Amino acid sequence: MSPLAIHMCCGVGGAGKTTTAAAVGVAAAMAGHRAVVLTIDPARRLADALGIETLGNEPTAVPLPGASGSLDALMLDGKATWDALVRDHAPSTAIADTLFANPYYQALSTRLTGGHEWMAVEKLHRLVDADRWEVLVVDTPPAQHALDFLQAPERIHRILDGQLVHAILQPRGGLLGAAARGVVDLVRRLAGERVIGDLQEFFELVAGLSEGFRNRGAAVRALLHSPACHYWLIAPADGPRAAELAAFHDALRADGLSLAGVLLNRVVPALDVDPDARDAALAALPPEHAQWLRARLADHDARASRHAQMADAVARAVGIAPWPLPEVAGGIDDVAGLAALGAALPDDARGVSPRTSPERSRTPR
Amino acid sequence: MNGSLRGPRFLVVTGKGGVGRTTLTAALGMAAAAAGLRTCVVELHGQEALARRLGIPPGYGPVAVGPRLSYRGLTPVQSVGDFGRRKLHLPRVATWFVESRVTRGFLDAVPGLADIVQLGKIENMIREPAAGDPIHDVILLDAPATGHGLSLLAGARAMREMTRVGPFAELASRIEDFLADHDETAFLLATLPSALPVQEARQLADRLAREQAPPRLAVLNQCPPPAPASADTLRAALGALPHPAGPALAAIGVDALDEAARTEQLAAELAHGLAVHAPTPVLRVPRLRNPDDLAPLVAALAPAWKAP
Repeated sequence: MSPLAIHMCCGVGGAGKTTTAAAVGVAAAMAGHRAVVLTIDPARRLADALGIETLGNEPTAVPLPGASGSLDALMLDGKATWDALVRDHAPSTAIADTLFANPYYQALSTRLTGGHEWMAVEKLHRLVDADRWEVLVVDTPPAQHALDFLQAPERIHRILDGQLVHAILQPRGGLLGAAARGVVDLVRRLAGERVIGDLQEFFELVAGLSEGFRNRGAAVRALLHSPACHYWLIAPADGPRAAELAAFHDALRADGLSLAGVLLNRVVPALDVDPDARDAALAALPPEHAQWLRARLADHDARASRHAQMADAVARAVGIAPWPLPEVAGGIDDVAGLAALGAALPDDARGVSPRTSPERSRTPR
Repeated sequence: MNGSLRGPRFLVVTGKGGVGRTTLTAALGMAAAAAGLRTCVVELHGQEALARRLGIPPGYGPVAVGPRLSYRGLTPVQSVGDFGRRKLHLPRVATWFVESRVTRGFLDAVPGLADIVQLGKIENMIREPAAGDPIHDVILLDAPATGHGLSLLAGARAMREMTRVGPFAELASRIEDFLADHDETAFLLATLPSALPVQEARQLADRLAREQAPPRLAVLNQCPPPAPASADTLRAALGALPHPAGPALAAIGVDALDEAARTEQLAAELAHGLAVHAPTPVLRVPRLRNPDDLAPLVAALAPAWKAP
């Protein structure tokens, strides 16, 4: 069975990716699907929102009273996922252990830029392979740019494929020209021979792992291009410029992918009250309270009008009208709040997509 | 501690994504410069968010922003180029070294290296400015969102453990010492007046206290206006506002009253949570009515730079 839908919740830090991803999962479970949410954020926000004490690297059932489907949640442990990948592909336990002890591997598996992103997709791949879920939701790692997530597998693949690193590891710079050999020499002097030695050991070991390890990058990239994958760009209504969202959309398209939609988060609706009626209502209050409320209404109007402008700007820049998600006073911190947010999502995000899932009609609801 | 940020020459603005770190860094820099400090605001990894916020063209810089205020957008390759230049005394080598794909590939492949060469650049700007370089009283860093800024700081230790010997290991040790020196480096914790951000800020403060130092100041950003006097009377009156507009207006009024009350409570919770490590002032700064006008924020942050 292939999953009905994989929802990728992308966006800049603070956009509300984690909460939205959880809401997508809750909505899918409410709609009768077996859903799983993979979260990445180290702050364990999803665990809080879902009322689970701690999330681990393996799926844990989320209690959802009244849901006809089910929801599991897990938090990515990048290091554990790297280790699992190595164990799966190492020809022997001894080789895996040598790799685990290698200082470069230790650094790589815990703090390589883009490593977390790659492991998120690797973990997603494992969840798909486990064949237990119809709907998979991925909360992407916090990043300055929504694009980091998409570019990570390519980046890591380049590193592991290691043309450049191989050049550094070869004492005379391999087949490089004289200028590049000079750079290699300088890098070796800066890094120190110990680092070069660790790198050398690492790349020799990685080359010795079965093809699978290095091919995994390709499998992971293929998953990102699977038609079941839906990319949602979550953007705070108070947030960044529409041009940044357009850049994400362009990058997706350049990669042959398409955007399922832009979710404009925490939108304040315009207050549709005629000014005379407003004044009449305010007149019922003592002057200092009327003045205070008038100022709050002005704040509200200003924000609502900025949000409406933002929605227009997004529609113009990205070419898709954004879907507004309401602001929830005090923030969302329980399952009821997630369910309410889930109900406000567009149909496509509520578990399945009619466009790419012909099996939808046969799905029990 | 009286909440003044004066003293340490390196101030790291930490906080999770979306709490307004970049805006706060810009406004804090403006407030510091207005208070008479020679100030530089910095972002890393070729980010351009801070430059955009300041309304200036991004660049490795320095770019002048205003009187006593400059900006630098550091990049790993240019920082490693500067490091090579200093360390190996090879001024002419630097350009092609910086432009080489090998350098880029190496920076990509060695975790934490990009972080420490950029921190090394900052440390160098503060501790060993070359003749003719600008002197800074304070450098403010808009810490990256990844790992709430902590992974950047933890990078030096990881790098030292990994490299052990050689120029990068020496650099990593220097950075570690620099970050651990409370007279040189201080941390500011930014958060929002909502339940989850405050909870996360407390967790971040715990980690800061464990791994670096407790934050010197917490800033509760985007605070709503306070409730008016006799808020309870207003709350009761809102329920009785006349139709047709009454209910819609009352809903906004009640939300605003709730928000003001929640902010009071969260500010107290935050102060209480931080006090476990050290008495830490919580500075409340207002939500901007016009996001392009930082003046109210700069004014609200001015007390942080008062001379003790």
